[in-house]
Amino acid sequence: MWDLFISVFVNVLIWIYDVVGNNFGLAIILFTILIRIVTWPLNAQQMKGAAAMQALQSDKDWQAIQKKYAKDKEKLAQEQMRVYKEKGINPFGSCLPTLIQFPIIIALYQSIIRALASTPLDLLKLSRSISLPNVSDLIPLNSKFLWMDLGHPESVAIFGLAIPTLAVIVAITTYIQAKLTMPASANPGDQSAAMSGMMSIYMPLLLGYFALTFASGLSVYFITSNVLGIVQYAMQGKANWHNLIPGFLKKN
Amino acid sequence: MRKKFALVMMILLGAVLLSACAGGPVHGSTWPGVATDGNIVYLADGSVYAVSLGDGRELWRYPGSTKLTFYAPPAITPDGLVIIGSAGTDHNLIALNPNDINPETNAPIEAWTFTGATDRWVAKPLMINNKLFAVNADGNLYILDLQDGRTVKEATVVKLGGRLWAQPITDGERVYITSLDHSVIAVDANTYDILWHENLGGAVPGSTVLGEDGMLYVGSLASQLERFDPATGNHQSVLDAENWVWSTPALDGDTLYFGDVDGNFYSYNTSTGSLNWKPVKPDGAITASPLVQNDHILLATESGSLIALGRDGKTLWKEEIGGKIYTTPVAVSNLTIVAPLETEFFLAALDANGRQVWTFTPQK
Repeated sequence: MWDLFISVFVNVLIWIYDVVGNNFGLAIILFTILIRIVTWPLNAQQMKGAAAMQALQSDKDWQAIQKKYAKDKEKLAQEQMRVYKEKGINPFGSCLPTLIQFPIIIALYQSIIRALASTPLDLLKLSRSISLPNVSDLIPLNSKFLWMDLGHPESVAIFGLAIPTLAVIVAITTYIQAKLTMPASANPGDQSAAMSGMMSIYMPLLLGYFALTFASGLSVYFITSNVLGIVQYAMQGKANWHNLIPGFLKKN
Repeated sequence: MRKKFALVMMILLGAVLLSACAGGPVHGSTWPGVATDGNIVYLADGSVYAVSLGDGRELWRYPGSTKLTFYAPPAITPDGLVIIGSAGTDHNLIALNPNDINPETNAPIEAWTFTGATDRWVAKPLMINNKLFAVNADGNLYILDLQDGRTVKEATVVKLGGRLWAQPITDGERVYITSLDHSVIAVDANTYDILWHENLGGAVPGSTVLGEDGMLYVGSLASQLERFDPATGNHQSVLDAENWVWSTPALDGDTLYFGDVDGNFYSYNTSTGSLNWKPVKPDGAITASPLVQNDHILLATESGSLIALGRDGKTLWKEEIGGKIYTTPVAVSNLTIVAPLETEFFLAALDANGRQVWTFTPQK
């Protein structure tokens, strides 16, 4: 089943690669846009869920149960679930798109490695994954994109030092996206806000590490996905610029 | 709290799964390389192992790492050096001296290294007199002097392009090299000039073979068997295969034997320009070259079988080795050495009737 999933990714990537004139970097970017379009309803659900959770923080009933059951965590959890149910909020709704990302990331990484086929075994596996007709003239795919070899981790030599520029860009764009999507909270004990704050630190570090370690094709996916996410939030007026630039709201 | 836990678990799971895909110096990352000097079998399968041909005992190993990972078949020089190329992040070509073993590590000492390549080594180097012709996945042919006494080698570089995965062959006058960029190239063996560079319309992962008729033959991922005039590079397709032709054709008089990744096995007569018999489909994809023996043709397949075929294409015997066999077996001293993937053992030695004599599993 998983292999079928990978094969679909590989065929879509190769089809785009063929259409755009044998450019695998561009194929990954367009593929990411496609993934974003397919997961658009999930992202919209996340925004809706985040907004509902944010609104809940100022709800009097919610604040009352926080105070009343501050020392009884079990009862507090029960009451929170009651409020979620009454207000029709799915507490996991804002997490789902983030969780959906992981199988996509893993599948994309495996698809990139398989499509670029840097070993004989990979190339043989690729032959089994391809269901498009007449692609033998495309094989092997051109792994060069700008200054990168998409099948290998990227770095640029600056003054003799190998600087992993893509890993830095991945970490920065992930941080910006996390900050922009983090709901503002006036409640210092708000667990949801605390978790979002934690994620805005850990996710850039984790994805930055992935970008540093794995094929740079994956970094192209991360950066494109992050930029698209930022644009999507900004266009829908959901971006929380105050988190990124303190004082932004006051001035604007 | 549960949300936090679930999210952290997903991130950790993602990290673990991605790390598992990253690859490393492990057995089975791709198909191994095997070579022998008649007494010892050398296996490149992450690390490099020297195994006694008599009993399958490990004599020494040269440990692999993330930086140094070995899969290309080793080349053995007349003075006994074992030349191995790394497919790890360090793209070193190393000559090991089996007569100079480090007593602490039980690994041979490096006689020399070459660090000028920029990608992995997949192909076995070719030796012509005192010169080593080594092709790398960076698209370059590196020509090294084996007798210059240097411990850090320098090389003459001939830029050819594409990924070069197959061992070059020579007729003494020219060196023929295949590339995944769909081409076959002839280089002058003495001046290193590129004589011709021809496109086949499909990647060429196997080597060329010189036929009895003086023509050059090669299979390609365009599912063709192609014939070349070695002097001019003029070429034409002589056979449409059912699927990708990966293996280097094996020469037997005026007959070429080869397989495709659909598992079809062909017997092509270079004199008549036609198939000797309708292709047979013994058992599983064929990426290994057939071995021509006195009374049969040995064929290793992806389904883990070693099959003896008569010259009429009929199966004489079939031995289930297990795992998957992609590597061309090696025939030496009445034994056939097979290096399967996805089995507990790394090597198996079989006698002329296909009976297992020994297997080799590295000690932990």
